Amino acid sequence: MVMGISWVVIATVLAAAGGVVGVVALRSDKVGRSALICMALAFGAQIMALGWRGELRGQCPLGDLGEICLFMAWSLTFFYLVTGTTYRVSLLGVFTAPLVFLLQGIALIPGAFEKNVVSAESINAWREAHTSLSVLSYGALALAAVAGVMFFVLNYQLKARKFGGGLVHGMPSISRLVQAMARIAVVGWVILTAGIIAGLLMPEGDFSIHLMVATVTWVLYAVLLGVYFVRGLPGRQLAIGLTVLFVLSLVVFVKL
Amino acid sequence: MKLVCLGLSHETAPIEVREKFALSDGALDQETKGLVASEDVLEGVVLSTCNRTEYYAVVNGGSGVAELENWVCERRKYDGIREGFFYHYEARGAAEHLCRVASGMNSMVLGETEIFGQVKKAYKRSLEGGATKSVLNKLFQRAFGVGKKVRTHTAIQEGATSVAGAAVELAEKVFGRLNGSSVMVIGAGEMSRKTARALQSRGASSVMVTNRSFDKAADLAEEIGGRAVPFSGWEEELSHLDVVIAATGAPHFVVKPQHVEAVRRKRKFRPLIMVDIAVPRDIDPEVGKIEEVYLYDIDTLQEMADEARKRREEQLRLCEEIICGEIDKASLPAVNE
Repeated sequence: MVMGISWVVIATVLAAAGGVVGVVALRSDKVGRSALICMALAFGAQIMALGWRGELRGQCPLGDLGEICLFMAWSLTFFYLVTGTTYRVSLLGVFTAPLVFLLQGIALIPGAFEKNVVSAESINAWREAHTSLSVLSYGALALAAVAGVMFFVLNYQLKARKFGGGLVHGMPSISRLVQAMARIAVVGWVILTAGIIAGLLMPEGDFSIHLMVATVTWVLYAVLLGVYFVRGLPGRQLAIGLTVLFVLSLVVFVKL
Repeated sequence: MKLVCLGLSHETAPIEVREKFALSDGALDQETKGLVASEDVLEGVVLSTCNRTEYYAVVNGGSGVAELENWVCERRKYDGIREGFFYHYEARGAAEHLCRVASGMNSMVLGETEIFGQVKKAYKRSLEGGATKSVLNKLFQRAFGVGKKVRTHTAIQEGATSVAGAAVELAEKVFGRLNGSSVMVIGAGEMSRKTARALQSRGASSVMVTNRSFDKAADLAEEIGGRAVPFSGWEEELSHLDVVIAATGAPHFVVKPQHVEAVRRKRKFRPLIMVDIAVPRDIDPEVGKIEEVYLYDIDTLQEMADEARKRREEQLRLCEEIICGEIDKASLPAVNE
């Protein structure tokens, strides 16, 4: 237990370091690789931690709050690492690290990880795929929401003509943020689609309220993205949609 | 052996005097040759830009800037008042001055980058003409290194210091790179030309010009390589534009909210930046309330330019420290010895 949880602690410390290093780099206008290295190391530690929980459970580690937070932090880090340099070195990228830190911080709250985990006697591949893909998609959708929040900040500053401070300076452009929001949300939505398909292929007895919520979430994201790509939407409305949808669906999942 | 620098610039001499000493590219080589032809001058570089003319020379011990000044005035056939128009530096002072010039610290627009290239060009011509040797070669190489360091380690060149530059900066904040963006200029005056030019220099590919007098629009469009649009038809173009610059002399609003509202769907609600540099204003402030429109007036741009200038001035102390440190570190003959 102690050895396993230490991987979560290491990943959390590395995410915090990544955030601090990233902010320092942004403020000094120097594009370094330190934040990227911190996040890559955090990613390694997250895999070790998930491996520890997976071994205990004998299935995909998504059985308690700690595991869900850890899995989502891993997903966020994954998308941070696979997206381009422009994204990683910008404030949008730097904002990922604090979110990863926060999620892992929640996972470290005593009781978040169940202590007496019973190993699963049998596992169903569709069920495993459903849960893991769904949580993975939430990583991407969380990033889209982060981009949305960044959009609000930049949009407010540009509209209110508040150009002082390094925040405007370190942010990507409005167009790039809108592009990032839409693209990352599409990636999340596609993964969620795969997750739901896997859910529909689960044995009948495994159908859950989670699957229903995931399907409703999927429909809402589909409508939002459809409207954006077909009719067009002002960036602010897309940002509101992505942020509200993510927060709402997350709250519903946590309540369930 | 002594390093000397003699010059005059926008800070010391009026245009009437500066123009008498300004040298064309062709005359620059002759001037340098003439400078080093003197027995007392061992090496020389002549720099001439629209704001300054400077002579850097390595002279024999007995000679000095007074002789150099006389030689320059005689050569330029200048017999007017000299007092206060010329500045001169020797040894370390001359080296520090060159570093300041190369770093843009003495430029009319503080921190501008063009001067760096101009100093480089002047040195290259002297080098190719055989007018430089060990002292000036080492000095200029060091000055280029210092110029680069000053620009990378300080914020001396950050922020736009002109209204046109501020408009470009804002457009980049909204669109990122301006490559491929479409611009419309309403009004064909000087500010329109400057702003359109500034946007073009950053990649704006399609520039349209509209004006009540179509001939003026056509003239400006031809000058900047754009397309003239009749004033009656500018609203139709709005659906595919990214940037609108308004600078007419109209006493009323030219661009109103209904103009933008009419094309929002067609534009798929893409961001639109509108820059109003006219007084009285051309764009109704209500236009700025439309979600995807970013509207800025002349006051905002002027404020941005003023703040950038102030920030650059605050960097001067840091720049001086870098220059002093670099000159201390260097082993420059006729400077540190």
